Amino acid sequence: MNAPDSSSTPLEVHDLTVAYHKKPVLYGIDLQVPEGSLIGIIGPNGAGKSTFIKAVMGLLPVSSGWVKIFGKSYRENCHRVGYMPQRESVDWDFPVSVMDVVLMGRYGRLRLAQRPTKQDREIARNCLEKVKMLPFANRQIGNLSGGQQQRVFLARALAQESDLYLMDEPFVGVDAATEAAIIALLRELKSRGKTLLVVHHDLASAKEYFDKLILLNMRLVAFGDTDEVFTPEILQTTYGGRLTILSEVAQTLSTTP
Amino acid sequence: MRRLLLPLLLFGCVFLVPEVAHAVRISELTDSTMMDRAVRFFTFRDASLRNALIGSMLLGICCGLMGTFLVVRKLALMGDALSHAVLPGVALGFLWNMAKDPLAIFIGATIAGLLGAGTIQLIRNTTRHKEDAALGFVLASFFGVGICLFTMIQNVPGGNKSGLDKFMFGQAASLGRGDVWLLAVIAVLAVGTVAIFYKEYTITSFDAGFARSLGMPVQIFHYSLMLLLAFAIVSSLQAVGVVLVSAMLVIPAAAAFMLTDRLGIMLLLAAIFGLCSGAVGAFFSFVGRNLPTGPFMVLAAAAVFAIALFFGPRHGIVSRWWRQRSRSARVQRENTLKAIYHVLEGNEFRSEHVSLRELAERRRETLEDVQRQLTAVRRTGFVTLFSDAVTFTPSGWQRACEIVRNHRLWELYLTNAAHIAADHVHEDAEKIEHILGEDAVRQLEKRLNYARRDPHGKLIPGIEDISLGSIPQPADRATGFGPAPH
Amino acid sequence: MQQLIPPFDWHRIFVQPWTTDFSITIWVVLMGFFVTAACGLVGNYLLLRRMALIGDAISHSILPGLVLAFMIFKHNSTWVMFLGAFSAGLLTVAIIEFIHRQSRIKPDAAICIAFTVLFALGVALMSSLESQGTIHIDAECVLYGEIAFIPLEPPTVWNGMEIGPPSAVRMGIVLVVVALAIAVFYKELLVTAFDGGLAKSLGMRTSVWHYALMGALAIVVVSAFEAVGAILAVAMLIVPPMFAAQLSSILPVRLGLTVLHAGLSAVLGLHLSVWLNCSGAGAMVVAAAFLFVLAWLGTMAGSIRNRSLAVDRCSRDENLPQVRSL
Repeated sequence: MNAPDSSSTPLEVHDLTVAYHKKPVLYGIDLQVPEGSLIGIIGPNGAGKSTFIKAVMGLLPVSSGWVKIFGKSYRENCHRVGYMPQRESVDWDFPVSVMDVVLMGRYGRLRLAQRPTKQDREIARNCLEKVKMLPFANRQIGNLSGGQQQRVFLARALAQESDLYLMDEPFVGVDAATEAAIIALLRELKSRGKTLLVVHHDLASAKEYFDKLILLNMRLVAFGDTDEVFTPEILQTTYGGRLTILSEVAQTLSTTP
Repeated sequence: MRRLLLPLLLFGCVFLVPEVAHAVRISELTDSTMMDRAVRFFTFRDASLRNALIGSMLLGICCGLMGTFLVVRKLALMGDALSHAVLPGVALGFLWNMAKDPLAIFIGATIAGLLGAGTIQLIRNTTRHKEDAALGFVLASFFGVGICLFTMIQNVPGGNKSGLDKFMFGQAASLGRGDVWLLAVIAVLAVGTVAIFYKEYTITSFDAGFARSLGMPVQIFHYSLMLLLAFAIVSSLQAVGVVLVSAMLVIPAAAAFMLTDRLGIMLLLAAIFGLCSGAVGAFFSFVGRNLPTGPFMVLAAAAVFAIALFFGPRHGIVSRWWRQRSRSARVQRENTLKAIYHVLEGNEFRSEHVSLRELAERRRETLEDVQRQLTAVRRTGFVTLFSDAVTFTPSGWQRACEIVRNHRLWELYLTNAAHIAADHVHEDAEKIEHILGEDAVRQLEKRLNYARRDPHGKLIPGIEDISLGSIPQPADRATGFGPAPH
Repeated sequence: MQQLIPPFDWHRIFVQPWTTDFSITIWVVLMGFFVTAACGLVGNYLLLRRMALIGDAISHSILPGLVLAFMIFKHNSTWVMFLGAFSAGLLTVAIIEFIHRQSRIKPDAAICIAFTVLFALGVALMSSLESQGTIHIDAECVLYGEIAFIPLEPPTVWNGMEIGPPSAVRMGIVLVVVALAIAVFYKELLVTAFDGGLAKSLGMRTSVWHYALMGALAIVVVSAFEAVGAILAVAMLIVPPMFAAQLSSILPVRLGLTVLHAGLSAVLGLHLSVWLNCSGAGAMVVAAAFLFVLAWLGTMAGSIRNRSLAVDRCSRDENLPQVRSL
């Protein structure tokens, strides 16, 4: 195979199928993400947007298909991937400070049992500065507003210093000013050659934020430049109606022994 | 520093165990009064007593550390289920050579605990039952098997006096040297593992998904924690008892959780609380003539928890109630200041003095009420009180101006920016005026182009008026203060 | 080992109990059945509400209630003990809610704290009373009850007729009351367990039903306490409904299966305890757990599983029985 070519592709997904409790959520996703782009993942509720990025990282068992990150398996290249989970995925009463959480972004680069170094702290501080959260560094994370919590997560993803970022709904519970600040940050990352995949729920802003879109509804409806795929017909296919027959047949399949 | 403290503490305890033992068996002690027994306790004369005390303290440390992770991972009931599930293992360990061999019991109980954890996992994966049912099933059925084995052992000759009943509610006095060494090893293991892998245990507990995305072996850390938990439970059994180990796991950690926002400090506090409750439990158990130790340890831990729950400086119930009270007292004071300002404004700032009668009319309250409120305000140094009148001090004038400014700015902001009708904004501003910070005020002023008048046409005090320090003199009228020009 | 497990003697284990020892056996089995069935019926609703461990909590925490009631009133009449245990049960629920609402402690830790502290208080009181010689409450009784002694109680006499041991009679009455209450309030209990929001929109007072269930729980646990002790009562609350839920997704069928399971485990448990010469209550729990494991393996094997999944597909929540009878 042409190795140099595939190793510059940040994300390559081939025929990915994911099932939750034997109920299929994603079907045969097949795509290749080019380097240095800001990509939105959109689709209706339950379309498998979060499932998609979790499956890419191997957080969910995959029924079939494979994923390659810069030409290698996820495990081999996990240090090149930054992840920003949904805000609800953690317990915000957990006894850690904002600084501790951002430092966690550096843990992937530390050896087992190794402590974060001065340099790691410096990087974490810079990332906090970028999202304008440095004054809150010593606060317990539960004492922050929703928007601030998102910014802490964003800072943690930045601290990972990765080449490919996967972000799950970074704009939920965020005020307009923070949203603008986040999108500016994402664009800056893109201009530095990073690749970003962002799960997004708001159609109206999707067109303006992203240069490419992945439209999902259990299967890949479309993937391409925003101007090409943001058309009424494709949106209609994505959002119009569930694929009832597909899901029902699949269920019968999975329940027959 | 903090990381060093625990191991030091621990080794100190272990080296206290003396080589020579001129012991009397505790059951043979003949001291009659409680006082005698208390004195005996504190002189550490008997090796068995030392064993009991050191063992109890070590188990407190182990349980506190492991319990912290149970509490932050919301696995408290897992601890409960596992601690009941080890019972059949204890019985089987005893059957190994029909003696209370610490190692055999330890191995048997650990296996039973891990089997219980595995069963919980299996039920959750292969049935539709939820976590709570799985936990309850393992807890109850393993315990049932254990009870059957125990009653069977009692029928066997020699099984009756085995002292196995001590495993139910705990008896620190029955700890032997072997038991204490076992506890010491487990404590060192727990402290060491947590200290070395602090970073890994924190991140896998806080955000397992993220940890996995970093390529960390989350499952390994989870199971190693469960193994350590099983060790902690099993080694504590004899002193606390099967039924109450879970309390020693959860309660010190929960008390620590009420007191701090940092995991490291929480671990340290939980270990200290565990250690203290262990010692107190051992003391009461000894003084009260070999009462079961477990309940007294748990009650000591519960006392610590109750104190933390009510009087914890930041999250405690009383502290929060107190803060709320002082906040509402401040709001009340500021409202009084505002009322004085309004009266002054109504008089077009002709006099510094506001008579109490005017104030009472303005606030629609009795003279006594107003007097009482003013006395409260005077304590903060905002007003000077005369027999029938009141004036602002410079700081009082400043604060009153600020409150009025905040109120009017907010009203203006709501009508201009949020397009709320001018007669609907007052209520909201009444609340906001007390909490608006200086930064927010600067932003509002900028946003409103430094407007001077609120939606009702009243003057908004500006920075110059506030820095004036007293009500405007006639000469200041030029700045726009005082009666509105018609 | 031979001493531990007596030889398997068919006649001693299966024939003798029902012939020579019939008068004892029948009451042990009946008591076991009453306890398991009453606890299991209430337990079904606990399981539906995902509150199985509240059952655990309450069954532990009634102990200080019993001891305190005895200390205050100085005699162990049924009603006094009952009152003490009942209020201890409600106190537990109140403490759990207080800790959970008023602080940052999560509900699981709150449950664990509330019941272990109350239980510790109970044991501490009990053992200090015992060491002073004031009363003698057997610690073993707290742990696993004394079901074998129940037939030895002087029988209750009613209208000159000997009915049976008072504990068993009382437990029988509790079972009948619980069964009747479930029959009468079937739809309210179902709706509040299934969908609290719906129940509220229908104008039901969900908190009343919540506390009613807690009250029923306290009643069955208190009456079961004597026979099976505090901890094994948890098994009676959780295992029969789990067995039933494993086999059916329809609530009335589940209730029936619970009762069937109760009868089976009582009889099996009796024979097990005769054979191994061990605690009767412990043996009944082992039998109950064994039956659940059988059902579990059976469903895993496949045949029933397919059917129940097919039924699931049309129900709203796969963990709840269908709301068919509404």
